[in-house]
Amino acid sequence: MKTLLEKFFGKSANGIAVKDKLMTGYAEVAGQEVCVFGTCDGTYIDNAAALRFAAHVLGCIENHSKAPIVMLVDSAGQEPNRTAEMLGLASYFGHLLSCLQLARQNGHKLITVATGKAIGGAFICYGMFGDRIDALESASVGLMPIEAMSAVTKIPAPTLEKLSRTMPSLEFGAKPFALLGGVEEVWSAKDDYAAKLAAAIASANTDDNRAALGKKRGGRKLSLDVRNRVLDESGK
Amino acid sequence: MSSAQLFHEQTARQRLASLVDPGSFTEFLPPPERVMSPYLPQLDIPVSFDDGLVIGRAKIGGKTVYLAAQVGQFVGGSVGEVHGAKLTGILKAAARDGIPCVFIVESGGVRLHEGSSGEIAISEAMRAVFECRAKRVPTIAVIGSDIGAYGGMGILTTCCDFRIMTEHGRLGISGPIVIEKWMGKQAYDSSNRALVWKTSGGKTKFLLGDADMLAGDDAASVTAAIKKLLAKSSPLTLKGLKARQQELEKRLKTFGKTSDPDAIWNALGIKNVAEASLASATEFAALAKKK
Repeated sequence: MKTLLEKFFGKSANGIAVKDKLMTGYAEVAGQEVCVFGTCDGTYIDNAAALRFAAHVLGCIENHSKAPIVMLVDSAGQEPNRTAEMLGLASYFGHLLSCLQLARQNGHKLITVATGKAIGGAFICYGMFGDRIDALESASVGLMPIEAMSAVTKIPAPTLEKLSRTMPSLEFGAKPFALLGGVEEVWSAKDDYAAKLAAAIASANTDDNRAALGKKRGGRKLSLDVRNRVLDESGK
Repeated sequence: MSSAQLFHEQTARQRLASLVDPGSFTEFLPPPERVMSPYLPQLDIPVSFDDGLVIGRAKIGGKTVYLAAQVGQFVGGSVGEVHGAKLTGILKAAARDGIPCVFIVESGGVRLHEGSSGEIAISEAMRAVFECRAKRVPTIAVIGSDIGAYGGMGILTTCCDFRIMTEHGRLGISGPIVIEKWMGKQAYDSSNRALVWKTSGGKTKFLLGDADMLAGDDAASVTAAIKKLLAKSSPLTLKGLKARQQELEKRLKTFGKTSDPDAIWNALGIKNVAEASLASATEFAALAKKK
């Protein structure tokens, strides 16, 4: 993990503490201070992890005015767990998202880079909430791999496999996710991550452009038009 | 439709008709417009002409509201590309017009058959919820059926200003069968309805404070709860979120080592769990206040 963090933040990666596969800290991108948090090694996110991240975001809002917040995602999701559910894991995730929204309203840019697993709930509960979302080419981005989708839906994997060639929504990975507009840019292993991150921070804005991007790239053709039809009919 | 009908047994359209002022509902993108999933036909799964979501505008107690009701009978009320785009559309209309938005939630989350599109759609709907909240336009989620609000839809409801639950409603991320598969039947038996209900049901969520109101299982009670919340909003503030942080930390510290929901009921003021289980929503709310 250390090596990857150095690729993003150079020496300033020292300011990021990694504990129990959760990262929190402050670093620098192109000479600017950024708040960093995220997961590594595909770890699960639980109630305690959500609270740790939320506390870090609240601290950033309070003491690091307008510092961009960089979210790194490598998590397999939440572990199905009885106690976690009883305590309201959804509310813990909702709290983390609320803290990120307050940060957005207070002028902090939210940047996400999917570095490893960015699957289902683990991606929804913080990374997908970014103003600008990028992914490493090697990242596993998506709802779930085709084998898992087949097991749950009882649709044979070869059928899904075949359909995924014309429907990127069923395919798993950073590139098909980008065709849907869910990822702005896919970074290759040869890219200069620090420069890419600096550019991502510079270009981020608070408009959610994912539906427009999905239409433009052809992977998610209906979202924007259906949304606009609702806005038209309700505006009459 | 008489309001004496049980809310959890009603269909999405019956619920809407019984919640709003008579005759005031106008549906957007209604079934004759045939706005439906492009994915399901290719998988040989029947489509629905509304893609499992009814959206529109109506009046409740004379006040204009936007509404969305999920159809649990259609692929579990799940969120696909079109369903999600309708949801985001109605939320964006609410933000644009400054009109409160009420969701009747009945969904297992992302529609797996449509893959990542449904996942992004829920994330877009979340952004739209917060767009409303930033403008102080109230967003209210009503969870009143066994299908409940799970997966991404469970998380989405926790982003709204307020949640109304009935005792039949369930709120969570992982559903009971998923938990059983993961932990084993000994640790969590998904066929034990009392356990499932106490783990994720309306009464426990109300005690914990994750549901703001507990309503009876009929349209009149749910309408009364909506009317109480329509004039309010819950803007995000640093002070409010710091208090919430402390509350959630305390909850985890106090109850994180137990898996017994009765321990939570006892600690939160319910002395007689058996009696409280059978209490009506009003009686239960009174018991919870006495603590």
